[in-house]
Amino acid sequence: MDNTPLIGVSVKEKGTTNGTLADNNGNYNLKVSRTDATLIVTYIGYTQLEVPVNGRQEINILLQPESKGLNEVVVVGYGTQKRGEVTSSIATVKAEDFTKGTVRDAGQLIQGKVAGLRITTPSGDPTGGTQINLRGLNSLNGTSEPLILIDGIPGSLNTVAPEDIEAIDVLKDGSAAAIYGTRATGGVILITTRKNPTGSKSTIEYTNYVNIQKIVKKPDMLTADDYRRLISQGVKYTDYGGNTNWLDEILQNPVSQNHNLSLFGGNSTTNFSGSVNYRDWEGIFLKTGQKRLTVRAALNHSMFDDKLKTNITVINRSITSSQGGADGYAYRQAIIRNPTDNIYNDKGKWQERDIYFYDNPLSRINEATNDARLRETRISGSLDYRPIKDLSIKLLASNIQTNNLYGSSTTFEHVNTTKSKLNGTASRSTTAATENLVEFTANYTKSIGHHNFSILGGYSWQDAVNENFYAYNFDFPTDAYSYNNLQTGAALKEGKADMTSNKNKWQLAGFFSRLTYNWNEKYLFMASIRREGSSKFGANYHWGSFPAASVGWRVSKEDFMKAVPEISDLKLRVGYGVTGTIASDPYNSQTSYKYDYAEGAYIDGKWVPGFVPARNFNPDLRWEKKTEYNAGIDFGLFKNRITGSLDYYTRTVDDLLYNFAVPTPPFLTGNMLLNAGTMKNSGFEALINVKAVDTKLLKWNSSITYSTNKNKLVNLSNDKFDVTIDFINAGYTGEPIQTYTHRVKVGGPIGQFFVLKSVGVDDNGKWLVESKDGKVIPISQSSDDDRQYYGNGIPKYLLGWNNTFKIKNFDFEVNVRGAFGHNVLNMQRMYYENPVNKAYNALKTAYDPKYGKTLNSDLVYVSDYIEKADYVKIDNVTLGYTFSDKLIKGIRNLRIYVSALNLFTITKYKGLDPEAVSYTGDFSFAPGIENRDTYPTTRTFTAGLNVSF
Amino acid sequence: MKTKILYILIAAFGCAGTLSSCTKLDEEVYSEVLPSKFTPTEKDLPTILAPTYASLRTVMCGWQGYFDLQEEAADCIITPVRPNGWDDAGTYRRMHQHTWTTQEWQPYNTWINAFATITKTNTILSQIDAGTLQLGDIKAGVVAELRAVRAFGYYLLLDNHGNVPIITKVDPNDKTLPKQNTRAEVYAFVVKELNEIMPSLSEDAKTTYGRLNKWGVKALLAKIYLNSEVYVGTAEYAKCIKEANDIIASGKYRLDNNYSDVFTYTNQNSAEIIFAIPYDEIYGVGNQIHMKTLDPLSQGVYQMTAQPWGGNCAVPQFINTYDPEDSRLKDSWIQGPQSNPLTGQVLITYVNSVPGMGGLDGIVAPSNAGFRIGKFVIKQKATNNLDNDFPFLRYGDVLMMKAEALLRTGDPDGAASLVTQVRQRAFKSNTSKATVSGADLLKGSVYQYGLQAPDGTISATNGGADIKYGRFLDELGWEFAAEAHRRQDLIRFGIYETKQWFNHSPKSPTRSLFPIPQDEIAKNPNLKQNPGY
Repeated sequence: MDNTPLIGVSVKEKGTTNGTLADNNGNYNLKVSRTDATLIVTYIGYTQLEVPVNGRQEINILLQPESKGLNEVVVVGYGTQKRGEVTSSIATVKAEDFTKGTVRDAGQLIQGKVAGLRITTPSGDPTGGTQINLRGLNSLNGTSEPLILIDGIPGSLNTVAPEDIEAIDVLKDGSAAAIYGTRATGGVILITTRKNPTGSKSTIEYTNYVNIQKIVKKPDMLTADDYRRLISQGVKYTDYGGNTNWLDEILQNPVSQNHNLSLFGGNSTTNFSGSVNYRDWEGIFLKTGQKRLTVRAALNHSMFDDKLKTNITVINRSITSSQGGADGYAYRQAIIRNPTDNIYNDKGKWQERDIYFYDNPLSRINEATNDARLRETRISGSLDYRPIKDLSIKLLASNIQTNNLYGSSTTFEHVNTTKSKLNGTASRSTTAATENLVEFTANYTKSIGHHNFSILGGYSWQDAVNENFYAYNFDFPTDAYSYNNLQTGAALKEGKADMTSNKNKWQLAGFFSRLTYNWNEKYLFMASIRREGSSKFGANYHWGSFPAASVGWRVSKEDFMKAVPEISDLKLRVGYGVTGTIASDPYNSQTSYKYDYAEGAYIDGKWVPGFVPARNFNPDLRWEKKTEYNAGIDFGLFKNRITGSLDYYTRTVDDLLYNFAVPTPPFLTGNMLLNAGTMKNSGFEALINVKAVDTKLLKWNSSITYSTNKNKLVNLSNDKFDVTIDFINAGYTGEPIQTYTHRVKVGGPIGQFFVLKSVGVDDNGKWLVESKDGKVIPISQSSDDDRQYYGNGIPKYLLGWNNTFKIKNFDFEVNVRGAFGHNVLNMQRMYYENPVNKAYNALKTAYDPKYGKTLNSDLVYVSDYIEKADYVKIDNVTLGYTFSDKLIKGIRNLRIYVSALNLFTITKYKGLDPEAVSYTGDFSFAPGIENRDTYPTTRTFTAGLNVSF
Repeated sequence: MKTKILYILIAAFGCAGTLSSCTKLDEEVYSEVLPSKFTPTEKDLPTILAPTYASLRTVMCGWQGYFDLQEEAADCIITPVRPNGWDDAGTYRRMHQHTWTTQEWQPYNTWINAFATITKTNTILSQIDAGTLQLGDIKAGVVAELRAVRAFGYYLLLDNHGNVPIITKVDPNDKTLPKQNTRAEVYAFVVKELNEIMPSLSEDAKTTYGRLNKWGVKALLAKIYLNSEVYVGTAEYAKCIKEANDIIASGKYRLDNNYSDVFTYTNQNSAEIIFAIPYDEIYGVGNQIHMKTLDPLSQGVYQMTAQPWGGNCAVPQFINTYDPEDSRLKDSWIQGPQSNPLTGQVLITYVNSVPGMGGLDGIVAPSNAGFRIGKFVIKQKATNNLDNDFPFLRYGDVLMMKAEALLRTGDPDGAASLVTQVRQRAFKSNTSKATVSGADLLKGSVYQYGLQAPDGTISATNGGADIKYGRFLDELGWEFAAEAHRRQDLIRFGIYETKQWFNHSPKSPTRSLFPIPQDEIAKNPNLKQNPGY
C-alpha cells in the first residue's frame, strides 16, 4: 500500500527452476523462456501472487500483506498448519506482538497475550525467571509446567535470547498436545527462532537497551526515631545510639544493559543466521547480578533442487554470576534489625548481637561469595528429504550438554566464624547433564480434488544423564583462599563436612502418528496417537497410549454464509486428547538398596553405614493420565478487523501420583508413591483482537485475553490399601509460627487457605477467632478443629489488555494485566505487624489499633493477614520512534524507544506486590503466599535502540 | 543419487532401523545398589544389623521423640513459651497438662520409630528364614540378637501405647493389614521372646557395646518385671530381683567412680552402661538435647558451631527437692552464671524460676528461666550433635530396680544398702549423707506437689508426704533425672494422674497410655483407639 520496495522477494517462472530475487531497491531481472510465462512471486508475510507475463518487459508487482487470522501459519507438533485448518486450541504470538523493552525470558514476551496462560514474575532476583502455568494445576507430584520446545528440541524459556525469537505457539488443549504424549499435560510451548527474513539477503541487526530498576515498594518499618519515641512511651526497645536504615543499606541502584547482534546472510541454497546476545543485569540488592552470553548460529543448505535440506544449529549459553550473600535471609535481617544499631562496632568490625536468628545483614552480604558459572551447549542437526513433492522425511538429532560450576565461601568476618566459630567456610559443586534427542518423522501431504489429507508417522528417543558433585569444608587457616583451596580446611578431614556425588539416567521412547483430513477446507478432521514408554516406571507399566481427535467446521465457507458478509471467518471446533505426566524423579519404581550413615550404627567398636531399601517398593507405578475435551470458536468479523477465539475446556487427570500414607506396620516408612486420585480442571478462555483504528495517520490495535479456571480434587484414594485421604495440608508459615497454611479438601479446589478466622481483639490484646460452631472465642481456646477455609490463592479470572498505537513514526504500546477473585497471605504483616518481639523491628502499622485494641499477641496465623489481592497492573508502557530509512545511508531501520516495566499496580492489597507469589514447586498447593523473604519486585525503566543494516 | 540419499538417511536412522535397542527402557542404576549386585556374606553383617539399631537414635533424641515423651509428660522437665517461640501450637503445654491429642507428634514418633526397628528386624529375620541371607554357625547368635532388638521395640510400645499389632514376619505379597493385640499379649510376647533367646546371646560386655547382649536383655527383663503390675496387673518383683542378681553376679559391670563418667562425651568407656544408644557428632548424629535446652547465648559458653534453640528446662519444684550437697544437682543441671571461657564475660545466668508454661495466659518465660539439662556433658566446640551416648540400661539402674523390688517386697534395709551404694559418689564432700536407712525409704516424697503460680508460690499444695515409698521415688528422680525414666516411675508410684505439679493437674487414669496415632487408625481400620481417647 505504501509502495515500499521489498528486498529479496522471490520471483520464479512457473513450472521451471528459473528464478531470481529482488535487489535492495526491489528491482528484479528475470529472463523467461516464453512470452506467455507466468511469474510466481513469493515473500514471507505476503500473499503469493501469480502474474502472467503477457509479453511485457517491465512488470511492477504490488504484493498484499497476508491477512492474518485464519490464513496465518501455525506451528503444531511436528509440522505446521494453516490457522484456518487447525482444529485444536493453539495460540500464536508473532514477534511484532511481543512485549517490547526489558524482558527476562520468552515467557515475558507473551505475558498477558495468551488466554489461559498465566505468566508472572514472582521476584526481582536478577538470576530468576518467570513462572508459568497453563489451565491450572494438573498433577500432585509431577510438574505442571509446560513442555518447551525450541525449534523442536526441549529447552527452557531462556534457552535462546528473546531477541532471537520469531514466534511462540502454545498448544493448549489435549487434542493439540497429545502428539507429545507424556510431557504435554502442562501444555506445549513451541518457540520458533528467527530465520533469515529474506532467504538470501545479508542483514545485520543490532539492538541494545539500558535499564535502571527501582524497588516497587519497601516495607515501612519503624525508624530509629520511632524507636526512641516508643522507648520514651515505655516500650521496651533497646537504643544502641545509632540511626541506620538497614533496608536502604542493602539496596543498590542497578544499571543493566543488553546487547544483541543478529546476522543473516547467504544465497538461495546456503544461508546462515547467527546472533550474539550479551546481557549484564544487576539486582537491587547489594552484590547481586548476572551476566549472560548467548550465541546462536544456524547454517542451512539445500541440495538436489531443494529435495534435501540440511540444518546445523549451535546454541551456546554462558551465564555467570558473582554474588555476595544477599539472599532472602539477609533481606529478613535488614527488615528486623534494630534501626538504632550501627553497621560497625567501635573496632570497625561488623556489629553483631547475641540474639536468636539475628545477624548483621551487611556482614552476611559482604563477607560471603556465591559464584556460579552455567554453561550449556546445544548442537542440533536436521535432514529434510523430499523424494517426491508430497513426501517429507525428516531426521532431527540434538545433543545438549550442560556444565555448571558453583563456588561459595564466607570469610572470617562472617557470622559463620564470628558467631558459629567455623573459621571460614567454602564449598564447590558441579553438575553435568547430557540430553540426547533423536526424532524421525515422515509426512505425506496430498490433495485430490477437494480432499486434502496428510499423514504423519514418527519415532522419538530421548535420554538424559545427570551427574553432580559437591564438597564442603570449613575450619581454614586463612580466608584468603575463598573456595579455591578447599583441601586446606580441617573439617572435611575430621569428617565434619560433607561431600556428595550422584548420577542418574532416564530414557523416553515414543512412536506417534497423525492423520488430518479436510474437505474443501470446510470440514476438518484430525486424529493422532502417541505410544510412549518411560524408564521411570515399573517394567509392566513402561508404556502408555495417548490418543487424540478433533473436528472442525469452517462455517464461513458454507454458501449460506455469503448472506452474512460481516462474518469473514467462522470456525467451530471440538477436540479430545489424552496426555500423561511422568513422576519427576527416576528410580521411583526401582527395587534397590542404599548404604546410609543415617541408618548406620556403632557395631563392633566402629561406626558402619546401614544397608537399607532405598524406598517402599512399588513396581506398579504408572502414568498420570489427563483426558481433555475442548470446544472452541475462531472468528473474524468485518474483513477480519475483529478476530478472536473462544475456548471452553474440561480436563480430568486420573491415576494421580501421590506420596500416599501407608500404615506402619507393616510398611517401613509411612509414605509410598502410588497412583491414587482424580483431579478436574475446567475453564473458559477468550482472545479478541481489534483493529480499533486503522487510518493512515493512526493505527490502534487492541487485544484482550480473558480466562477462568476451576479446579477440583475429585478423590484421593487407593484401592490396594482400601484407604482414602480426605485432605492434604500444604504450605508452611516458617519459624516461629510453624504451621501449615493451606488445605486441599477432596471434593474442593486447590489453593484454599485453612486458617483461624480472626474476628476481633479482646481487651488484653489477644485475638478473638470464630470457633467451629460459629462462636467468638479467644484464640487461646481454639484448636486446629476451629480452622476454616478462607479464600483461595489462585485467581478466578485473568485479564490481559494489550494496545499498540502507531502515529506516523511513533509507536506506543500499553500492556495491562489483571488477576481477580483471589487472596494473598501477607506474610510480612503476619511477622512484622505485631509488636510482641522487641528484639526484632516491626512495621509502623504494628502499633496501629486492631479492632480498636492494641495487639498484644504472639505471632499467629489468622485470617487477618489474608487479604483480597485483586490487581490490575499497567505492566509495560513503551514509546518508540522509527526514523525514516533515508536518514542515514545504509541503515535500513532505526528505532529508539523508552519503556517502563511493572510501572503501576492498582490493588487494595497491602503487601509489596500481589504478584510476588510463587505457585510452582513447594507452593503448587500453597499458592498465594507473599513470602516475607521474597526478593522484592522491581520497576524497570528502559531506553533502547534497534538498528538494522 | 536419490537412492543413495535414502541409504544415508536410513543409515542415519540406524536407531530407528533397530527398534529393539531404541525401546529399551530398563533403568540404569548408578547411585543405588540393585539386589542382583549384592550377595550378602558374614562380613556384611554389621551393615545389615546397623539399621535395626539406627532407629533407636531417632526414638530417643529425635525431634519430639521418646525423651520428650517420657520427660515432658512428667514432673521434672518442661518446655515453656519463650521470647523466641516454643509455643509450637501448644504441643509442649499439652504434653505437660496431659491434654495431648490423638495426633500429637511425641507419641506418634515413638510409634513410627519403634515399628521401624521391628520392621527392619523382621525383614532380616525373614531373609534368614528364606535362606537369602546365609550366616553359617553365627546364625543362632544373630537371630537371637535380632529378636532381642525386636523385643526392645515392642517394650517401648508396651510401655507407651499398649495395644499394638504383634508382627514377626515381612511378606511383601501379603497385603492384609495387621491385627491389633492387647497389652497383655504384647507383654507375654516380649517376656517369652526375651527368655527364649537368652541362651544364644553374647555374654561379652566389651565387644557388644551399643548392642543388646545377655546382660542388656536381663536388665530389660528386670525393668519389664518391675512394671509388670502396671502392664498386666500382676507384680513380678521376685523375677525382677533374679534378673538383677544375675547381672550383679556376672561381675561384668560396676558403678563408675564419677557420676558424670556415665554421661560424658567419652562415655563409651563407661564401666556402668549395659545398653547404650550410641551417638556421634559425625556418624551417629541425633543427640541434640543441648540444642533444645540451651539458650542461644550459651553458644559462647561452649564455643559451639551452632546456635542452640533455647527451649526446655527443669521444673523448679523438682530442683527444690535436691539436697544442696548432692553433687548430682550440679552434674545434672546447668545453673547460675554462664561465662565465655576465653573472655570470662558472663553471657547468661540461669535461675531456678519459671513463671509458667505460657500460651494461655500470655506468660512468656524469660530466656534465662529454669535450669538446663547438663547431664550429657557438652564439650567445647560442640556441634549441633553431641558425641554423648544415651545410656538406656545401666548398672546403677539395675541396683535401683533390685532395691525397689526389695522395698516393695518387705526388705527396706536390703533396699537401703543398695541405694546407699548408688549415693556414695554423689556425696563425696559429705560422705555421711550418702547413707540412707530402710526407715528413710519408707517415708514420703519431699517434692512439693501443687500448682505453681507465676510468682513461684505453690498454691493448692498437696505435697508428697502421702506418697508410698515417696522417698524412693525421690531417689529415682535424683539419680535418673533427664534419662527418660520419669513418666514410667510416676505411673508405677501411682502419682502420674493424682498429683499436681507446675501447671499440671491430674486428667484421667487413661492417660497412662498414649493414644494409638489417629493417622495410623486412618490407614489401618483394624486398629482401635485406646480407652479414654
